[in-house]
Amino acid sequence: MFEIGLTHYLVVATLLFVMGIYVMMTKRNAIGILIGVEMVLNGANINLVAFNRYNGMSGIDGQITSLFVIVLAAAEAALAVAICMNFYKNLNTVDVDHGDTLAG
Amino acid sequence: MTELIAEIPTWSPNAAEFLTFSPELAWVGTLCLIMLAPLAIGRDARMTAGLAMVGIAVTAFFTFKVMGIVSTEGPKTGLTPNLAGGMLIADNLSLFFKVLLLAFLIGVSVLWMSVSAAKEDDAPEFFVLLIGSALGMSLMVSTHNILMMMVAIEFASLPSYAIVGFNKHKRIAAEASLKYMIFGAVSAAIMLYGASLIYGFFGTLDVTLIASNVGPVLAAGGANRLLIGLAMFCVFAGIAFKISAVPFHFWCPDAFQGAKTEVTAWLSVASKAAGLLLLMRLANVFCQNAGAEVLRGVAIVIAVVATLTCTIGNLAAYKQTSIKRMLAYSSIAHAGYMMAAAAILVDAGTVESFTAISAVLAYVVVYMLMNLGAFGVVALVESRNGEDDSITAFAGLGWKSPALAIPMLFCLVSLVGIPPFAGFITKWYLLAALGEAASGLYWALAIVIVINTLISLWYYMRVVVQMFLKESDTPAADVPMSGTLLVNVCGILLIVLLVLSNPLKERADRYSAGLFSPVVAGLAAQPDEESLARSNDPVGGEPVAKDAQGG
Repeated sequence: MFEIGLTHYLVVATLLFVMGIYVMMTKRNAIGILIGVEMVLNGANINLVAFNRYNGMSGIDGQITSLFVIVLAAAEAALAVAICMNFYKNLNTVDVDHGDTLAG
Repeated sequence: MTELIAEIPTWSPNAAEFLTFSPELAWVGTLCLIMLAPLAIGRDARMTAGLAMVGIAVTAFFTFKVMGIVSTEGPKTGLTPNLAGGMLIADNLSLFFKVLLLAFLIGVSVLWMSVSAAKEDDAPEFFVLLIGSALGMSLMVSTHNILMMMVAIEFASLPSYAIVGFNKHKRIAAEASLKYMIFGAVSAAIMLYGASLIYGFFGTLDVTLIASNVGPVLAAGGANRLLIGLAMFCVFAGIAFKISAVPFHFWCPDAFQGAKTEVTAWLSVASKAAGLLLLMRLANVFCQNAGAEVLRGVAIVIAVVATLTCTIGNLAAYKQTSIKRMLAYSSIAHAGYMMAAAAILVDAGTVESFTAISAVLAYVVVYMLMNLGAFGVVALVESRNGEDDSITAFAGLGWKSPALAIPMLFCLVSLVGIPPFAGFITKWYLLAALGEAASGLYWALAIVIVINTLISLWYYMRVVVQMFLKESDTPAADVPMSGTLLVNVCGILLIVLLVLSNPLKERADRYSAGLFSPVVAGLAAQPDEESLARSNDPVGGEPVAKDAQGG
């Protein structure tokens, strides 16, 4: 049997990052874009925790930082959903392509 | 894991450390007070604004107190048990920015009182968001740890998203805040991912330690070079979003047009200045500790982004019909001018780099007055025109309401950067800083700024032509007294600061000289001879050993 090491975690994190970026670029739905953002943030979390565990770092800086990232992601998601609802109330859609009043 | 936790010493901040960060604590207290006040005194706009002013006064009191401590005892750091650089820094630069923010908060509140307060039901929420973003911005300028930087940027951004969409029933406000929020969330996510990679390479998030390790790690070679560059660019993108540097500027005109004009004034100065000073602080500590090979790349990235930012900002401002949008592009261009000076910081620790920081500080002060005045007049004109923000709404303003048109003229001419206004002298300081640095790259940047100044002349003059050469049959309407007074004070200060440009410059020199130089563990930082010679300040750049451990 093989042992799970740093590389495995980094591969998962990179996959999450790439999928998140792809979702952000292709989704037209504001909530969809936010899901992409959450994927990238969780990729960052996996990176932080895995580096801290396997790269021989002293202390638990990475773990603590990942807690901060989780809090930031939660705060951002709460506000983002509120703004999406406000957008929906005004335009009856959360498709970002319909927000084309401001341009130029 | 348990043995890792056991390594961490028990620590709690002592009274002296609390005093060092009392301005932030006062700000937090103000936030809580304004949030709870509606329970006791109701939701009256005047009462809330008064309460906010009391909070600002208390914060200002503590800021000046800390300023006194810093000027006698040198820069302070703290709020960390065992990190070399410290999480938060109280030095001349961060205190200067706090004072600037407090003054600007008062200006924005006066403007809000005179144009929006009468029809506003949600005054407490408005002030909570405004002061909350101010707190985030002041934290941004007081750190060189990437973790603190990320928290501070989010702290400044989240209230900004909400305050842009503050008018819930306005379609363009909802659209503006959605766009701002999506751009912000995407750039924050990319920044955090970049930071996680940096942590993996260097094992720390303190920029000082990263900078001193970047040479050896690069020398180890291989694919790391590309990946480290990419990770650093990701973090840079997060800061560039706050500065609205090209190509991260798309949110800026939309958010500025959709927001209330006083909010636009706030974001156009405070959020950009915070991002710029954060970039300068990071560039300063990074370049002081990193090897020459890395620095070349940093200088070129900053120079290219600065050139693109001011050129694209100025060119896009041409075709705008909305004055708020035009001023938004103008603010992008100004951010580009200031960013050009950040490229000089590659020679960190030299006289040139202090000249650069000092030039940017002077520029930020004058830029605040120019933008507050210009957006103030726009807000007043809008408020009597039923929210019409087109440039043609200014037709005939010079003859109908000279009390608005003349300060507007002063601010616009000062934004171009031609005499006899303070915008000229501060732009001259920027150019002089670039010229003194005497290298091909900086000369090219100086030429870019001069050409951009010429381009910008024409679109600012369109507004002046509307005001003084076009006629309009709409009658002059009443404008609020306090708002008129505010914009006139801004206009007059622009002339006063040109006359008093020497004291302004001296102060800027002093605030840029006493920067916190981080103590790298086991590496005694040398006091900077040149910076000591330049300022009469006894503290200079010498770091003070922190006594947090004993607390």
